[in-house]
Amino acid sequence: MEKILYAVLVLAVMGAVFGGVLAVASRVFAVKTDERLPRLVEALPGANCGGCGFAGCQAYAQAVIDGKAEIGLCAAGGQEAAKKMSAVMGVEAVEVERKVAMVKCRGQNHLSKARYEGISDCRSAMFVTGNGPSACPSGCLGFGTCTTACKFDAIHVVNGVARVEADKCTGCFQCMEVCPKGIIIPVTYHTDIVIACSNHDRGANTRKVCDIGCVGCHLCEKQCEFDAIHVINNLATIDYSKCVSCGRCAAVCPRHLISDSNLRTDMDVVPAMQR
Amino acid sequence: MNFRKQLKAGLLTNNPVLSQLLGMCSTMAITTTLFNGIGMGLSVTIILICSNVVISLLRKVIPDKIRIAAYIVIIAGFVTMVDLLLKAYVPALSDSLGVFIPLIVVNCIILGRAEAFASKNGLLASAVDGLTQGIGYTAALVVMCIIREFLGSGTFGKGVFGADGIRILPAQYPALMLILPVGGFLTLGCLIALTQWVNKKLTEREAKKEAAR
Amino acid sequence: MNTFITLFAISLNAILAENFILVKFLGICPFMGVSKKTDTAVGMGIAVIFVMALASAATWAVNEFLLVSLGLEYMQTVVFILVIAALVQFVEMFLQKAMPSLYQALGIYLPLITTNCAVLGVALLNVQNSYTFIEAVVYGVTGGIGFTLAIVLFSSIRQRLEDCDCPKAFKGFPLALIAAGLLALSFMGFSGFRVF
Repeated sequence: MEKILYAVLVLAVMGAVFGGVLAVASRVFAVKTDERLPRLVEALPGANCGGCGFAGCQAYAQAVIDGKAEIGLCAAGGQEAAKKMSAVMGVEAVEVERKVAMVKCRGQNHLSKARYEGISDCRSAMFVTGNGPSACPSGCLGFGTCTTACKFDAIHVVNGVARVEADKCTGCFQCMEVCPKGIIIPVTYHTDIVIACSNHDRGANTRKVCDIGCVGCHLCEKQCEFDAIHVINNLATIDYSKCVSCGRCAAVCPRHLISDSNLRTDMDVVPAMQR
Repeated sequence: MNFRKQLKAGLLTNNPVLSQLLGMCSTMAITTTLFNGIGMGLSVTIILICSNVVISLLRKVIPDKIRIAAYIVIIAGFVTMVDLLLKAYVPALSDSLGVFIPLIVVNCIILGRAEAFASKNGLLASAVDGLTQGIGYTAALVVMCIIREFLGSGTFGKGVFGADGIRILPAQYPALMLILPVGGFLTLGCLIALTQWVNKKLTEREAKKEAAR
Repeated sequence: MNTFITLFAISLNAILAENFILVKFLGICPFMGVSKKTDTAVGMGIAVIFVMALASAATWAVNEFLLVSLGLEYMQTVVFILVIAALVQFVEMFLQKAMPSLYQALGIYLPLITTNCAVLGVALLNVQNSYTFIEAVVYGVTGGIGFTLAIVLFSSIRQRLEDCDCPKAFKGFPLALIAAGLLALSFMGFSGFRVF
């Protein structure tokens, strides 16, 4: 009987002591956290994708409270998150333009200059002399490093080239970070006009390695009424502040690489050779 | 029907070890003989049912902030009881499981089920959940034990059928590696891969059925 | 001198020959869960060393002065887990106030440690081996170092595993387990390694 009493007593006393100590400790060691912090974190999607440039949603929320960051950097949460955050912080909501990633390459049939059978990862493949096994110096290698990096299942390798499904893309740009070729860029979700090539070589050289690379023929530049597209360094480049998405450059491009199909979710592509 | 569904979940689609990947410490450590596996499996099942029942009864009393601590103390109580019972009636099992009996306290399966199921559901449902999850755990252990014991020491049912069990492979053939720690990792890895494969096939078949309908 | 050799033997045992993860199978859950990146693995490892040292000391004292003297050894499991849970919670609060930078680094791992079998395991093993106070603390620290060693090694292997080709069913967790098995195989080389 005595033993049972002891056992119960010991447990009860220990429970009480620990409870007491912890209660006191929670008072003594209380750290003032801004009560807006949990509400801000709640407003964020919680994917911890790092697209805002901070270590995660919590870190970004803290930075907003400290005044080190602006509202609206969260691409994954978009307008809705920005609205909620503005409500928490008591400021006017800011407009967020939705940005998505785009792979500036469409060359499924670009030649390879070496056969690569190593680890299936673009960064590893880059160790092949001269920036990877592709003959095009800035062509997509298609080993899918970006697919692995994407937390939203929005980028896939189709016919050897990575393609973004714009509707799924949240704009965290993790794919951009890992792409060793640096050919993934942010574009506005609503635009149809994109240049799907990154090759700065001269036209004759580009023609040799890829059947749809930009050859810098200036046709688009001549066609544009708004002075929005220029061939810079042998590659057509769009100035989005002037572009009105009229699509005339896309119609005139002999290589069919200015097009709207890139930002659609349907993934079927006409093989370049048949065009 | 509901029970059958829960049983299937416990055994295969939501098996605590093979699908939820919980409680792997004990799974790999003690599955060297069938005797150990069955003993550990039964102990965990009993503790799981008891703790699920008690936690589901107390779910409205326990304050939210200290619920984890409360659950752990409840679980620890049952673990101590089972530990003492084993020591008294099956000392051989108690010896061979050693420190892993008290370590059931921190087995994620029990705390996980308490948090995910018993704290939200009624008494009967929690008891059934404890039973099915326990059966799933035991089944996983038994399969691992049979594989490891057969390949590692060439016997079947050591401790269950006599002290040396039924010898299948002559003593010089078995790969001792399988009953060493290495074998635990390798066997569990292969079993989880198999479960993933089977589950994928099952969902595919279900999707086909849906499509046909 | 003699105590020094004993302590050395205990340390070597805890780090290599009887590594908590790879030989004793204690603390597999965090080993698998927090080993995807090397820097998080290091953070977790340091947090475990810290908690294991404190827990060894606290549970040794509680066991010696409270349980043994009252003849309540059978309550070890309940009491130890209570001590560990309270200790972890206390450490978390203390760090948050006193060392915010350390808290930022270790904070997220601390709740995970409460239910880490390695911590309760070290407390129970200290009793089982009837270690003295110093021995218990050393065993706790070196056990934690062994844990860190295993998890850091494993995380660097795992980063490579992400890229490799393997059957689809093995992708991810099963492959990680098999790699851990091979690591355990290499640690088996240390068994039979004794200093006396």
